[in-house]
Amino acid sequence: MNLLSFTFLASIFLLLAVQNLPFFSKRAKSQNALLLVVGYLLYAGTDIRGFLLLLVSTIAYYFLGIAIQKRVGAGEIRKAYPLTFLGVAFGVGLLLYFKYLGFFIQSLATLAESLGWTFDTPTLHILLPLGLSFYTFRLISYVIEIYRARTEAERNFVDFALYISFFPCIVSGPIDRPNAFLSQIKSARLFRYADFLTGCRMILWGMFLKICIADTLAPTTDAVWQSLSDTNGAALLLSALIYPVQMYSDFCGYSLLAIGIGRLLGLRITPNFRTPFFARNVAEYWRRWHMSLTSWITDYVFMPLNILFRDYARLGTALAVIINLIVIGMWHGANWTYALFGLYHGLLFIPLIYGGQFGKTRKLKPGKWELPKAGDALRMLATYLLVTVAFILFRAPDVSSAMAYFSGFFSESLFTSPQLPSFRLLYVALIMLLFIADWVYRNDECVLCFHGKGLMKYRAARWMVYYALLFAIYANCENLHGDFIYSQF
Amino acid sequence: MQEQEIYSALNEIFRDVLDEESITLLPDTTADDIEDWNSLSHIQLVSEIEKHFNIRFSSREIMMWRNVGEMVQTILSRV
Repeated sequence: MNLLSFTFLASIFLLLAVQNLPFFSKRAKSQNALLLVVGYLLYAGTDIRGFLLLLVSTIAYYFLGIAIQKRVGAGEIRKAYPLTFLGVAFGVGLLLYFKYLGFFIQSLATLAESLGWTFDTPTLHILLPLGLSFYTFRLISYVIEIYRARTEAERNFVDFALYISFFPCIVSGPIDRPNAFLSQIKSARLFRYADFLTGCRMILWGMFLKICIADTLAPTTDAVWQSLSDTNGAALLLSALIYPVQMYSDFCGYSLLAIGIGRLLGLRITPNFRTPFFARNVAEYWRRWHMSLTSWITDYVFMPLNILFRDYARLGTALAVIINLIVIGMWHGANWTYALFGLYHGLLFIPLIYGGQFGKTRKLKPGKWELPKAGDALRMLATYLLVTVAFILFRAPDVSSAMAYFSGFFSESLFTSPQLPSFRLLYVALIMLLFIADWVYRNDECVLCFHGKGLMKYRAARWMVYYALLFAIYANCENLHGDFIYSQF
Repeated sequence: MQEQEIYSALNEIFRDVLDEESITLLPDTTADDIEDWNSLSHIQLVSEIEKHFNIRFSSREIMMWRNVGEMVQTILSRV
């Protein structure tokens, strides 16, 4: 299921046309059934084995949700608890089995070997079902929300199955919550020109981010990781500084495609990014980066832990934050680098918690000439640099490679001219374009959702931008670097 | 204990924890109405309320409150 293929995008417009045919246009149930069938066909066509698991899990959670609802509705909270626990444990169990079992066995074997014990470890070939990390989070959040009486169990199986498997979001999110999604599909989605336009703009900007920025930068950062020992410190620094932009363009590009496709079909998907590089500290950064995952883990991991540790005041909060960030890190995959990535971010929160800045949202007010104020700009730069260090851990194939990167980085060659393979001035221009566009349109839904600012109030200027982006996408599409980074998680 | 007494005590706790003397809680007051009432200060508030009334809330209760009125009802059922 490749959201960037021409066939896929063409089929979305076909689906939109079918959804608006007389038979479907006024019937929410028919529209939902159509979206579910299309989604299931796309999924089964990509991963038939994974499809069976998706179907079985959906059926199981549908009945589990109704059972929890019955008990919560009758005020039998003690009876609802074991069922909710079962739902959470089954979802976590799926993730543990498919994502982490091999890793845990291997880690135990390494530990045993270091203690002088040797035993044969079975070689496991467990393939990760498509989108498992994303749809299990929807399933878990569904049962918890019913238990907390924040939502009611969905009685319509088609609607529930559509929420779990909405095809633009199943591979890499965003992770919608049940209330936000289910409430929208109860009424028929009529064609609205404004939604159509916004959806197209999001798709266009998402494609530009992925094809023209992420995939243009990727060969350079990949080449550095493939020849760490031959790369000088200055080049390692430059590559490390580029990587957050590459990641952002890749994942934000994907998210915009998914959200834009949703909007074309008349659905508002939860946003995933809000100009993260304008964050003035790490806490603010996490409120702007992969927001649907962060808010999910905050609600279901951080808050319960923070409540549990409440007698320890700030120490308890710090502990809850560190565990929270390690969970976010490990969610990305079975590798100690992700755990270190989370631990590092968690430790960065400690000064914020003790300094009283954690949890405070200070509005970003521009200074002279609509630019960030000097103090804010410095804080943004400092946050970017701190995040860059974390991304080295994130990108490293293993801990020893990350250490090799850091030791190459902090060497005398840091003060030489960077020898970065295939680095071009175009990269600087692209990165600047991204930062300027994000800054100017930071309060808008997406960069191309112009609201009559400056030149963009003229239709001709807007169309020039659209054509320029289309041309850039067309010119670069043969350099498509591969799938989205987040589809592997 | 009367509902009004609980509101008076809560007003004092909120003013003290959030360092804002102008806070006056009403049944439909939510975190959106008070600037520094966020997820972190919420837990500090809960902890202070528990100490003041000598009670212990469950995680589910803490997560379920949608406004001050619901919080007061839980306290009323315990004291």
